[in-house]
Amino acid sequence: MKLFQTLLDRRRFLQSSAVVGATAGAAGVTGLTGLAQAPQARAQTPRGETVVTKSICAQCPARCGIDVYTTDGRVHAIYGDTGNPIANGKLCPKGHLGSYFLYDPDRFKGPMRRTNPNKGRDEDPGFVPISWDEALDMVAERLNGLRDRGESHRFAHFYGRGWGASDAGLYGDFGKLYGTPNSAIGHASMCAEGSKRAKRATDGNDSYNSYDYRNTNYLLIMGASFLEAFRPYNNVMQMWGHMRSKSPKTRVTCVDVRMNPTMAAADRALYIKPGTDGAFALAVAHVILTEGLWDKEFVGDFYQASGRFISGETIPVDSFEENWVHGLTEWWNQELKNRTPEWAEEITSIPARHIRQTAIEFGSTRPAVALFERGPTGHTNGTYNGMAIHALNALVGSLFAKGGLGYQMGVPYGALPVNADDYLDDYARDGAWKDQPRIDMARTERWPMTSHMMQETGPNHLAGDPYKLDTAMFFYTNPIWTAPDPKVWEEAFKDVFVIDTSPFPGETAMYADLILPDSTYLERLQDSPTYPFEGWPMTALRVPAVEPIYDTRHFGDILIGIGKRLNGPAGEYYRELDSVENVLRHRAAGFAENPGDNGVNDFESWKEKGVWYKKPYHWRLERGRFYEWGGLDYNLQMSPEEVKAKLFKTPSGKFEFKSGFLEEHAAYIEREMGIPAERVGLIQWVEPQHSGGNGDLYFVTPKTPLHAEGRGANVPHNIAIHQPIVGGRDTVYLEVHPRTAQERGIRNGDRVRITSDLGSIEAECRFVAGHRPDTLVLPFEFGHWAQGRWAKGRGPGHSGEVTANVSDPISGLASYYTGKVKLERA
Amino acid sequence: MAKWGMVIDLDKCTGCQACTTACSMENNTLPGESWQDVLFYHEGEYPSAQMKWLPRPCMQCENPSCVHVCPTRATYKDPDAGGIVFVDWNKCIGCKYCMIACPYGVRFYADEKPLIEPDIREAYPSENGQLWSPPYQNPDEDWQRGIGIQPPGVVSKCTFCYHKVKHAPEGVADLDEDNPEVKEYVPACVRTCAPKARYFGDLDNPESQVNQLIGDRHGVRLKDHTGNRPQVYYLGAGAGVPAFTPADREHDA
Repeated sequence: MKLFQTLLDRRRFLQSSAVVGATAGAAGVTGLTGLAQAPQARAQTPRGETVVTKSICAQCPARCGIDVYTTDGRVHAIYGDTGNPIANGKLCPKGHLGSYFLYDPDRFKGPMRRTNPNKGRDEDPGFVPISWDEALDMVAERLNGLRDRGESHRFAHFYGRGWGASDAGLYGDFGKLYGTPNSAIGHASMCAEGSKRAKRATDGNDSYNSYDYRNTNYLLIMGASFLEAFRPYNNVMQMWGHMRSKSPKTRVTCVDVRMNPTMAAADRALYIKPGTDGAFALAVAHVILTEGLWDKEFVGDFYQASGRFISGETIPVDSFEENWVHGLTEWWNQELKNRTPEWAEEITSIPARHIRQTAIEFGSTRPAVALFERGPTGHTNGTYNGMAIHALNALVGSLFAKGGLGYQMGVPYGALPVNADDYLDDYARDGAWKDQPRIDMARTERWPMTSHMMQETGPNHLAGDPYKLDTAMFFYTNPIWTAPDPKVWEEAFKDVFVIDTSPFPGETAMYADLILPDSTYLERLQDSPTYPFEGWPMTALRVPAVEPIYDTRHFGDILIGIGKRLNGPAGEYYRELDSVENVLRHRAAGFAENPGDNGVNDFESWKEKGVWYKKPYHWRLERGRFYEWGGLDYNLQMSPEEVKAKLFKTPSGKFEFKSGFLEEHAAYIEREMGIPAERVGLIQWVEPQHSGGNGDLYFVTPKTPLHAEGRGANVPHNIAIHQPIVGGRDTVYLEVHPRTAQERGIRNGDRVRITSDLGSIEAECRFVAGHRPDTLVLPFEFGHWAQGRWAKGRGPGHSGEVTANVSDPISGLASYYTGKVKLERA
Repeated sequence: MAKWGMVIDLDKCTGCQACTTACSMENNTLPGESWQDVLFYHEGEYPSAQMKWLPRPCMQCENPSCVHVCPTRATYKDPDAGGIVFVDWNKCIGCKYCMIACPYGVRFYADEKPLIEPDIREAYPSENGQLWSPPYQNPDEDWQRGIGIQPPGVVSKCTFCYHKVKHAPEGVADLDEDNPEVKEYVPACVRTCAPKARYFGDLDNPESQVNQLIGDRHGVRLKDHTGNRPQVYYLGAGAGVPAFTPADREHDA
């Protein structure tokens, strides 16, 4: 076909020879120019007036500051903002594609209501345009009616990527004023909640970490997709370039279940059996102790100089003086003393010698950081896995140390113009809704240690337990497609009045009764406090590069618009709150007393610079002592009480190898996980419970650099280069070790079927000899049945459809990576 | 006049493809028309396998094969424009001889079946003689240098973002994106590279950072045996074209 095309072109070339000279004069050049086929030659065009606006990328949680280039009202280029400390003028591959979201030909162009009462994959919603007033009145009428009947708890908000005070930040007051426990159901339990809970259980901070990569000399990366999707990806790559070329070069050991860019670029790549990261980390801890490599100033030491940790032997009680840690003696005696590399080899399949080498390097290089994300935590034993890894940071004294890790400070925002507590009526204060649990049962006896359990909502509604939802409003989340076992949601949400605010025609929108389209991010005025980054406070601002090009509104203004239509004092509150811009002006007033390092001290300067930030981070561990920033240096030594209040927010005020947080829930953990109540606090090895039935292959579904939070599914340029493992080009593949495939009679490129007890999906397979033979890899994001012309129906199948809805009982994180499946030729 | 050169440090490159997307948006190329592509290669087997990647712009050769074979002199090397190899879209007849002659595979003919269906050219149909007309167009257009959106039936390629580079101050040794004075003149792929694996500067200036890096880090040119003498140099342990199986081809196993 290509040859034919070439011949055709040659023929056209010969034909065009006959018209020599036709355009030579116009082109103004010499030689064989007469062969030109263009009807008229074109030279340089004059450049229009280009305006650069400050905004923030919205394709992942990193919140990179961006410079948006707009000429004659059209956005045409996006680069990293040099003045933004995360972006530093740089971007990841997704960032440049932002214009696509603005000009997506499939995006919704205004509010619409559904006319087809039937819902399902093959049902056309029959959307018809309505005005914003009609749409908001319709929502308010529903909400006011529910409230009048004492059923306001049957209204729920759902959100995925909240940005800040001007959108998701408005939910809490909405729930309080209107009267629902379901404002809002967050997506954290379908994201990375396991890391937060592992840190809560050990150091008392329910948060991701900030990192001082610039000064780190050793990185142990476990299941974090560091060079693909770890936040903030763009900055992580900047730091990678620095770490790998500084002196001394930062040494990297990567532990993962599959070949990936971080494994390929690391100094040592260790392929671990899925769900066993905790065993690896315990063995590393074992060696750090037996080799005497722990940080004695932070951890403490034996009273007697002759004290030693010896494999298999207990240490005498009261022989070790703990400094900033709690429970080391019990941890060693009851768990760690037998967790040798040889023991871990049996469980993880990583040779003991590699575990020992890694431990000796990690323990003898300062500063060293162990980091992890969904790989270790996306299993039923995820919190314990994460705790074991995080314990390594304590053993080498990296918490709050230079070159180590810390936590994120908040932003000194100004107060809102109104206080919701002044606008509560009797129903809001004491109405029937107060006795109702959340629909997802998070923070109840069923899931006592969780903050959100969005994945439970579909099944709970279907069962009518604890009750049936009436109305659900979605913002930046699409659980009808992304939840594990999403077909349950497809069934469940048929009888719920669904309001979707996404500007894009996703699966949730296909179930919507009302579309209230948010503006795309280049059209929005929106704040965005940083995700955990380097610790010091920072908040960026989206400034619209163009006015909304269609009849769309900022989600915050949609919410305020609904609020204004609520009966009673709630409506008054929202009329006072007025608008997103008013909210942001009041928030920015907090900068007057705290001018940022870049001079930002009010709303106008925030818009101009696009970001407020104030360095440095306020706390520092040095040689076993904690110091607070005194204005010029870390010179205010902190008392144990101050450390407990600000840094180690655990019952003991120390880093806990024996977790008081878990012990508070001992009966629950014993019941759900079978761990004896007296042992639940110990960081320990717990077998993962694999889902999916009796499959013989592990099934993992990683996020790739172009995926992140999955917003690129309808971006053709994204699809075209979806990489990297086997060279997707216009799709992604089921990646399988050739031996595994050949044993099943599968050839490279064959269509294959992946089956769990939930059903089957199909994919084209590609051989990747770098992967574990017992593990299949299928990147997330493909297999949409909606979301736009390029996303819809693009193979392979959607991994969620063979992923059971099973969660870690402690964190509630959905166990996306713990399924086992069968593989056969389709 | 400078002789523009690029240095790519494979020890720092993370294979993220931001260079690819920055280029495609700056130059408004079609999906798959990746003037700045990144190729992935595999070798070996679990648990000791390798994966490598190679970012690949046009090499802007000092002795370019493509120029020698072009029957219409549409493709030409311009010593007055930093030695960049251009395609004059007013003259190109789309015969593709240059694509066959190029040892690096960095020339594209996009006026054929699209890589991604549905065809984006139907979503943004052609206006004003362009092959397609998306709403997000770079305002710079210069068909004599293959800048802007091409007309139908021509070959396209990397121009080292000449529409930016041409504004560089006379005599500047390096176009470093961290220097605010020249940030806007740096090629898109270099400007955005997060791990700073790319450098751009004057190969004729022995004081330039690119020459310093080539000297200190033993920079290599790809396929030097062809005599093409690229103006793009690679640094790092993996510098050179790996003899691996490309990642998008069948594995040998």
